[in-house]
Amino acid sequence: MKKDSILGKTKKMDWLFIVTTFVLMGIGVLLVYSATASTPGIPFYQNFWFKQIIYFTAGVVVAVGLTLVKITFWRNLALPLYLLSIVLLVVVLFFAGDVKGAGRWIDLGFFKLQPSEFAKIAYLLMISTWLSRHPVDFLKLKTFLMPFFLFIVPFVLVLRQPDLSTALVFTMVTLTCLFMAGLHLSEVFFIVSPFFSVILSHSQIAYSQLLWGAFICILGFLLYRRRLPIVFTCVIFLVNIFAGYMSTMAWNHLEPHQQKRVETFFNPMADPKGDGYQVLQSMTAIGSGGVTGKGYGNGTQTNLSFLPEEHTDFIFSVLGEQFGLMGCLIVLGLYFLFLWRAMEIAKMYSHPFVTLVTSGVCAIFFFHITVNIAMTIGLMPVTGLPLPFLSYGGSFAMTCMFLVGLLCNMRLQGYKMKGRN
Amino acid sequence: MSNALNGNEEIQNRNMKVLAFLVLVWGAFCVLGIRLFYLQYVHYEDNFARSENNRIRRMEIEAERGFIFDRNGEVLVRNRPSYQIVLDAQRMPKSREAKDSLFNLLLGIKDSSGRRMIDSASLDTAFQRSVWIKNRPIRILEDASPEEVSIIEEHSHELPGVYAITESRRAYPHGTLAAHALGYTSEISEKQLEKPEYKDKYNSGDRIGQKGLEQQYDEEFRGKDGVRTVEVNAFGRIVSEIKGMGEEPALPGLHLVSTLDLRVQEAAEKALPDSVKGAIVAIDPRNGEILAMVSSPRLDPNVFSLKRRERNRGWAKVALDSTRPLLNRAIAGVYPPASVFKLVTSGAGLEHGLLSVNKYYPHLCDGGYRFGNRYQKCWGVHGNLNVVNALRLSCDVYFYQAGLEIDMERINEFGRRFGLGEEVLGIDIPGERRGWLPDSASFNKRNKRSGWRWARGLILNLSIGQGQLVTPLQQAVLVGSLATNAGVYKPHLMKELRDRSGKVIKKFEPEIIRSGTMKESTHKVILAGLDSVVNHPGGTGKRGAVKGIRVGGKTGSGEWKKGEKTHAWFAGVAPLYAPEIAVSVILEAAGGGGALAAPIARQVMEAYFSRDSLAIGNNQ
Repeated sequence: MKKDSILGKTKKMDWLFIVTTFVLMGIGVLLVYSATASTPGIPFYQNFWFKQIIYFTAGVVVAVGLTLVKITFWRNLALPLYLLSIVLLVVVLFFAGDVKGAGRWIDLGFFKLQPSEFAKIAYLLMISTWLSRHPVDFLKLKTFLMPFFLFIVPFVLVLRQPDLSTALVFTMVTLTCLFMAGLHLSEVFFIVSPFFSVILSHSQIAYSQLLWGAFICILGFLLYRRRLPIVFTCVIFLVNIFAGYMSTMAWNHLEPHQQKRVETFFNPMADPKGDGYQVLQSMTAIGSGGVTGKGYGNGTQTNLSFLPEEHTDFIFSVLGEQFGLMGCLIVLGLYFLFLWRAMEIAKMYSHPFVTLVTSGVCAIFFFHITVNIAMTIGLMPVTGLPLPFLSYGGSFAMTCMFLVGLLCNMRLQGYKMKGRN
Repeated sequence: MSNALNGNEEIQNRNMKVLAFLVLVWGAFCVLGIRLFYLQYVHYEDNFARSENNRIRRMEIEAERGFIFDRNGEVLVRNRPSYQIVLDAQRMPKSREAKDSLFNLLLGIKDSSGRRMIDSASLDTAFQRSVWIKNRPIRILEDASPEEVSIIEEHSHELPGVYAITESRRAYPHGTLAAHALGYTSEISEKQLEKPEYKDKYNSGDRIGQKGLEQQYDEEFRGKDGVRTVEVNAFGRIVSEIKGMGEEPALPGLHLVSTLDLRVQEAAEKALPDSVKGAIVAIDPRNGEILAMVSSPRLDPNVFSLKRRERNRGWAKVALDSTRPLLNRAIAGVYPPASVFKLVTSGAGLEHGLLSVNKYYPHLCDGGYRFGNRYQKCWGVHGNLNVVNALRLSCDVYFYQAGLEIDMERINEFGRRFGLGEEVLGIDIPGERRGWLPDSASFNKRNKRSGWRWARGLILNLSIGQGQLVTPLQQAVLVGSLATNAGVYKPHLMKELRDRSGKVIKKFEPEIIRSGTMKESTHKVILAGLDSVVNHPGGTGKRGAVKGIRVGGKTGSGEWKKGEKTHAWFAGVAPLYAPEIAVSVILEAAGGGGALAAPIARQVMEAYFSRDSLAIGNNQ
């Protein structure tokens, strides 16, 4: 292929991608500044915005370093990293009972490590390594055995923390990688169809029986079109029917307070004290921004501390209030640009490892972006997923920059990957 | 895998998948964009107005505390509105300079008498708290007067984030009346909050019942706080209510109908001046309902719901007073039962056939009795007596001999049957103390340290009621159940709990706690004794007589300290042969029971029966 030289590398740098990333980080610092600058009497280096700059600077250094790591190392490192992350997840679970609120952190003194963040990356590398050597075939269940095992261990550990949203990030990565490693889109659909059945047939949803009926029809049509072996067709179909009915039955078996908890999760407005308040305030803030926004630094909702956690999980509402629809759409556009340029890497080289890592990274980013924004505008339940590059937070900023470094690494050294193994 | 052959196809397939992923991203972002358009363009006006002019808050709706009524429906305890001046962290200025100037402005506000309205300490605390308490207003002036509220409202434009709110506080319209039975409310203390039984149910700043019925039935009085969502304007005033966000209405607390009878209670309060230490208990012996309960000196429960400065002053006054107004003497004051105990001695003797109306003791009363080398005096010279006359004249010499013959075990057993002794009666207010009926074992145990040993000579004192400990409540229960001979009922102050619509939620069911019965022959003689004390010539309790009603009773003058006046006791019951009310009166260190305590009991009974005749009159 190309010459292995500095010149060759720089030529292949995707400047559009790099610039987009820096623009997003810049917007992030500006928003954190406007959301928190009003803390008086604190030296500037203790302010959130300044810390955020430090985190990003450190992140950029890390990303550059990762870019220079030899690409083949990743496959060799995958298993040790994966095992280490499992150990850390177990450790954090073990200590969770002791210290209140420390369930997700390991305090290293100078740095608070969040094992679930680390596990995201380690798992991505592990599943990509495995799938790049062993493609999956929907009709050969054996091929799913190892990926399922790799997936279920961190998934359960994270779920036990409990951190449902991060567990769902693992699911999203798995589905994307399975898709890229050989599954047809409809086959991915078959895998997740029972979960749709559970949700759609839920009696709390309006017209649930109609919705579910329609869903079953679509499923039946797809199964018919795919002409899978009759056993597969029957099992998938029956599992869906079963899941649908079980959903209602299981619901009726729940205690009233458990039902209420589920309802609150799906409809935060129903919760008197907690999430409903946040979402309502966030929606008001975004909506009051209008088309052009109130202007930088003029967000009344933000400045009056009406918004809780405005600089972390709800940073998007700071954006919406101050920069309006235009600002929001521009940021959405930037995110799309980012993901598009990143996904281009997946198409550049023939080796599946590059494709899998790249699409896995994109899946992580995409999931975070969508779930976080949907939460601030009242479309999805309140979960603790931050918004990449915009939300304040050292651990997550580091994760993001790590993933960016991984992408650059793939882009610049992908050609080195040769053959299946 | 056939990758070698279909390399091209595979790459094409992969590129399609990348495209599919991007289409998914595009689709999801479009949904987000549409929602943003909906919020920021279609509903812009609403959202802008809401963010500009209004603030949305979750507010707790305080559940109103239940009232306390007397048995006839007269209000004994109700609630009053109380204004609180508060500081709202969300509305107050953010910059340090503006905060300082607000602080100084508030500090400078004076009322009409030129006094500083808000003290600097509580203001400073409130400002410190405002840094982290954002979701609720912080109080800076408690229980403000209307004048103080109007001063704040006049200056509201200069005082961002400062306004008045109304909350409900306890009011005791009859002042000190029955204060010990009713109790009072105050803010929950830090100590109480640490206890497990309060921890989960109460928050700091909650007002909680202390002592008396207020404490005993606090949970019933409280009800359940509700939640609502409101929009408040820039000045913190509520503009409108938002429905459909999980509001819960407040559930007001239950009303308590007490067994107290306001007229009887008033008469008792009047009869016992605040300058005298003492207690009155009036009880219905047929079911244990307390009709009146007075402990003197009194305290004013209203003090505890005033603003801090006045509350502290009031608290200091009662807490440091050497006469101990906080003590509910009716249930927590323990005294020697004195001559009233002679009823028990007589009863035990009659029950075991050791006394009878025909039995006379060889040593007739010549003013004293020699036991060993000791000479025990009687308070008079009474001559030859049977048991009824001994009770009438309260002759000590007779009971010295009776006591020696009957022995303490029998006497104490009889006393315990009628509610005396070490076991509390279990009245439904906290703080009841135990009595004591000593015998050789318990006497030695109690006096282990001092080295006093039981001796037979002690029976002389004990048989006339010197040496035991009883509460006024026990004394009333004793005389009441002796007259009914139908069991001792658990004394109680709660008659019914009702909800706001008047529906009875809970009723106190009378409960027999001691057997309280004796032989019919014994009963007859005891009744004759009670009768003669009040109604026969020379009876010590003749001042307890009520016109038109046959009253029975027993006086007592308890010695408690050499050279001090005796505790004056009277325990009476009426009508004697169909008892409805039993009254015990004690006046600490006042003098003779017949002279001082009996007239007070008479006034209480008169009030009770005047009410009755009134009711009968109405019926006819």
